[in-house]
Amino acid sequence: MTDPALAVAGWLQQALLLPLLYRLGAMQWEDLSFGWALFAVYGLVQVAATFAVCMPLEHWRPVERWPDRRAVATDMLYTLVSRVGILPLVTFVGFYQVQVAFTGYLADHGWVPPTLELLVPPLLGHPVAAFVVYAVLLDGAEYWRHLLSHRVRWWWALHSLHHAQRQMTFWSDDRNHLLDDLIAALWFGAIALLIGVPPLQFPMLVLVLRFLESLSHANARVSFGWLGERLLISPRFHRAHHGVWAAGRRSCNYGAILPWWDMIFGTADFAASAVHTGDPSAPEALVSGGYWAQQAGGLRRMAGSRRPAVTQR
Amino acid sequence: MDLSRRAVLTSGAALAAAGALPAAAAVAPVAEIALVMNSADASVSVIDMATRREIRREPVLREPHHWTLSPDGRTLLVGDAAGNALFSFDPATGAPLGHQVCADPYQLWISPRGSVLVVAALRLDHIDIYDAAGRTLKKRIAARSMPSHIAFSPDEAMVFVTLQRSGAVMAIDLARLAPVWTQPSGPTPAGIVWHDGRLLVACMGSDHVAEMDPADGRVLRRIVTGKGTHIIAPAPDGDTIYVGNRVGGTLTALDAATLKPRQSFTLSGGPDCIAFAPDGKLWITRRFTTTVAVLDPASGSVEPITVGRSPHGIFLSSVLPAARRDPAAALGTASV
Repeated sequence: MTDPALAVAGWLQQALLLPLLYRLGAMQWEDLSFGWALFAVYGLVQVAATFAVCMPLEHWRPVERWPDRRAVATDMLYTLVSRVGILPLVTFVGFYQVQVAFTGYLADHGWVPPTLELLVPPLLGHPVAAFVVYAVLLDGAEYWRHLLSHRVRWWWALHSLHHAQRQMTFWSDDRNHLLDDLIAALWFGAIALLIGVPPLQFPMLVLVLRFLESLSHANARVSFGWLGERLLISPRFHRAHHGVWAAGRRSCNYGAILPWWDMIFGTADFAASAVHTGDPSAPEALVSGGYWAQQAGGLRRMAGSRRPAVTQR
Repeated sequence: MDLSRRAVLTSGAALAAAGALPAAAAVAPVAEIALVMNSADASVSVIDMATRREIRREPVLREPHHWTLSPDGRTLLVGDAAGNALFSFDPATGAPLGHQVCADPYQLWISPRGSVLVVAALRLDHIDIYDAAGRTLKKRIAARSMPSHIAFSPDEAMVFVTLQRSGAVMAIDLARLAPVWTQPSGPTPAGIVWHDGRLLVACMGSDHVAEMDPADGRVLRRIVTGKGTHIIAPAPDGDTIYVGNRVGGTLTALDAATLKPRQSFTLSGGPDCIAFAPDGKLWITRRFTTTVAVLDPASGSVEPITVGRSPHGIFLSSVLPAARRDPAAALGTASV
């Protein structure tokens, strides 16, 4: 059966991207443009699926009710920029040559980046199992990146943009400073040099993982129960991380999908119940400014982060 | 280069031994099969050529693109570019035989007389020349311009590689393992073949095939075929050369003697590699779909076969008997 998302990506490639690349004299990127088309179309499917589930949930069991939801509109823009692939495209164009030069240099000196399946041969030939192991390992790496983004003062100044939102919804997941996104990409790139990148032939699995990340930000009174909360991160668990009292360099519940890392490293707080989210110390530009005002505000806050006042705790 | 050679070989040998895949014998042979490299699906589709049905998919690591056949015709090497690995398959059954580490094997080709394996690393910008039998790296040549497709001179003295980003072809002397010339061919060159003492180069950033002199790389003439000229495949009968036009969505049949366009077929979906079946039909992968098109050049009819995402390289086992008698002949009939 033909995958409808693939059919749309194929149409996008043939009808729009290829003629554009041909006209621009950039046909060497035609393979990658199809990859981007796939990313963008599956990204749209992700956004639509998340919207279809989370929006009713937020209406049904909201944690907070707001008379004015204008601040959420900017978060919607973040989501579209990130998931439909504009941001990955810009990042790719900007850093492809650097990545090629660096990986090529390593290959010339004997380091051919492995894949997890070659490091753990039983995984070879079992791509779904390999994907699951990758997801767990990358979730662990994401835990440490997130924890460090709170603990390192200048990094927290950037990351505080993500926490400044006082109207946290499922749209807030991608509300990040561009520089913070770039650091995340570099972090991921470094890990990829050690274990490779996960197999990407499972768009549905990727969709489920991204859905869980969005769901964890939803303004919905949803708990997965005692056991469920110890298996997957729920909106209740993650809301505690975004609570006003937890904003700053000493927070809790840093995990993205699995709570196991917080449980193992002693940062889990299953008892915490936070209703109001946000960072009381954040400048108003980070809270309610438009996209570029938030980006500029994040840079200003980082520049001023040598002063201790930037952190709350 | 010593460092890279040592490391590649060491890790390759160790992992090949550790990761040998099970039981080629467990897969029952079928009459004739097609193997299709699904570049966005991390798999190789095995198709029964008679029923036109996909029998199964063999997983690889990330991104299989192209293949080459061992001189004895018993091993099909498939390059998994993003997985940094070469996978071996039984070309008669499609059974997996093992794998080894290889840096970005996007395009790969064993020379006509079987002495060297040349690997073009499109992403990492280098060309590796291996001893074909032992797969030991003889030389890595920097090609900072997306090295893409490969063609050999019939006497195996030279190998020619298209450089997509710089719009040029690099000629490498295989005795000295050194570049001899790098000359402009036309924008974004992709497919390249040796034909009648000349090189034919598909210029994907334009609408033509460039005919080049292999001695010095001069462009002798340009043959207009269609927008986004990507692949060149000489038919085994020696009468026709097919050219796939990626942007135009067409396939042009050139008269092999005059190189003049004779016929054009509409083929949407990003036509890519071409393999020739014994019944005269063309099996063509379509990169932006999940299908292989079986084109009957006599009638122009197209029969789709569903495979994985973004099918790229395609191998038909029907070339095998000839391959076992004469590897060079088999290589000449396969997709590049």
